[in-house]
Amino acid sequence: MSQDRSMEAIWRKRAKAFRAETLPYFRYMGQSGFPAFMSLILISCTIGYFKLIHHVPANFPVAAVGVIALTLVLCWSPLRTWLAAGDTVFMMPREAEMSSYLRISFRYTTIACAVLAAAVLLLYLPIYNQGAAYYGAWMLVVVAAVLKAANIWGAWKERQMTWPGMRRLMRLLRWMLTACTLTAWLAASELWQAAGFTLLIASLYVLLYKLPSKHQFPWERLIEEEGKTRKRYYAFFGLFIDVPTLQSSVARRSYLAWVLRLVPYSNRNTFTYLYAASLLRAEIGGMMLRLLFLGCLIIYWFAEAASLSGYGSVIVFVIFMGIIAVQLGGLRHVHRYSVWKHVYPLPEAQRIEQYLKVDRISLFSCVVILWLFAAIPLAVAGVYMPSLIAAVLALAYLALRPMRLRKKLIKDEEEE
Amino acid sequence: MVPILQVNSLTGGYSPRRPVLHDVSFEIKAGEMVGLIGLNGAGKSTTIKHILGLMKPQIGEVKVSGVTLESDTERYRSSFAYVPETPVLFDELTVEEHLRLTGMAYSVQDKSYETKEEELLTEFQMLPKRKAFASHLSKGMKQKVMIMNALLAEPPLYIIDEPFLGLDPLGIRSLLERLVEVKQKGAAILMSSHILSTVEAYCDRFIVMHHGKIVALGTLDEVRQAAGLEMRGGSLEDAFYKLVTGGTD
Repeated sequence: MSQDRSMEAIWRKRAKAFRAETLPYFRYMGQSGFPAFMSLILISCTIGYFKLIHHVPANFPVAAVGVIALTLVLCWSPLRTWLAAGDTVFMMPREAEMSSYLRISFRYTTIACAVLAAAVLLLYLPIYNQGAAYYGAWMLVVVAAVLKAANIWGAWKERQMTWPGMRRLMRLLRWMLTACTLTAWLAASELWQAAGFTLLIASLYVLLYKLPSKHQFPWERLIEEEGKTRKRYYAFFGLFIDVPTLQSSVARRSYLAWVLRLVPYSNRNTFTYLYAASLLRAEIGGMMLRLLFLGCLIIYWFAEAASLSGYGSVIVFVIFMGIIAVQLGGLRHVHRYSVWKHVYPLPEAQRIEQYLKVDRISLFSCVVILWLFAAIPLAVAGVYMPSLIAAVLALAYLALRPMRLRKKLIKDEEEE
Repeated sequence: MVPILQVNSLTGGYSPRRPVLHDVSFEIKAGEMVGLIGLNGAGKSTTIKHILGLMKPQIGEVKVSGVTLESDTERYRSSFAYVPETPVLFDELTVEEHLRLTGMAYSVQDKSYETKEEELLTEFQMLPKRKAFASHLSKGMKQKVMIMNALLAEPPLYIIDEPFLGLDPLGIRSLLERLVEVKQKGAAILMSSHILSTVEAYCDRFIVMHHGKIVALGTLDEVRQAAGLEMRGGSLEDAFYKLVTGGTD
């Protein structure tokens, strides 16, 4: 019996429970077209990659690509703890024993993260060797390993910090310092410069992390983080099948508050107001903003180079419009089981029309922004046809979408 | 005068074979506060769910402002505001935005809305929290937001389920004062609660439910009578105890 109550046993039991819980969803994902779609992307990426390493262009930004790719995988240091809200009652009394529990968590997540970082580094090395390559590949491996360890340590110290503002600031700083260190190793030609810079940054880092007040064991932080991770899993599964709704996380996004104020105060805008607020503050809105940012960036790159006589940017435009539209579709599930939908003195048909309005306006705004990032650089290069075709495709999609969506919404309602 | 709420021979529940409510009938008139009391599982929440239209009666009907949900959905729905037992708020909306949403849903006039909002925020000591998200509020504060929303709508009928849970003493006092005020203006109130002393002090009539049936209905004297107590003998709690334990002291 005592064996079963050991921290290690609890950890293993919980990890197993999570796997059992998510397995059916992975199966649903497998049955969808997603794996085929991903393999297609993977194949095209592989072809592109081998073409690139076969002959890296002279003006290829070797150092910049390395800094971006490696910063992402070296800084990202998640921690799966399987902790849940109830643990403040059930596990907290055993806080003294929690170090053995956490040790397994660290081992588990560090291995996964290290494998990912190693894979990215391996992919990068052939490109690196064709650039300036001031230091040998082994030196880069050592630097990456040290940076990964420092990031895992830093991420834990951040979790322990009492004040959320301080925690965010330190995280930003950690990412910046890692990027700076990588830049030093990838761009500085003298070893003593790179090493000296690293030492300087390392001492600054240790000093800064010693300052803020910290929790011994950041229960609430870990529970919140675990909750967020689970939510991401379910948001992903939600693309393929209905999933149980977990408590949503909310971001204020004050910079978008003006959008909500545009909704006029009137009875026929009640659901417009509610859905607009949900879209702006919930996870869907955040995902859409990130996708929009990424889309604009990639479309701009393609359009600026006028690749495939400008049609490269049209392809990327269509892909991002599609992904954003799929994300936006998730809004339909947000208030599906809300009691107020039934209690408010508003006709049901009005809800659907107002939902469609929010959907239409938000997608239209995103599409216009994406389109501008293609059309302006193309126009500067004197190419007009691809932008025109992109606009026609977008308008056709925007015109067809409400009809399909209305059918889905009516079906959802009948199912309830 | 047409009663604001009429529940006629209501039988209903989650499964047709095992109804929770058995032939429940009562009505509430304008300017009346009625207390709905009963043990856990007596059928109070199920009754409320039927009134809200979240459950369909198997037998009987519920009328609000003289109409059933099917005959005139909009009139039915705009005639009441509801304060649930557990606060159900939208995590992504602030306190102020909840009030605005309710104002929109219940067509509260634009001009009077601003004044009412300020009044409610002040009265329930929520001014410093007006921009806080619902997910960052304590349970009592969430309950305050629910109550403020109901009061903002100023409907003819208030359906209030266990309003005092988690409320601070000032909140309870504000709520009761406001309920008395809206009652005097002609609103009807159905309030379910376990705090029998408060129910006794504020309600005009009482509905005592036990095992899905109404075992006593009426003024305090009528409830005492149903419990077999003497006139003016004993509190609502004494009568309630007698009624639900079958008179075995």
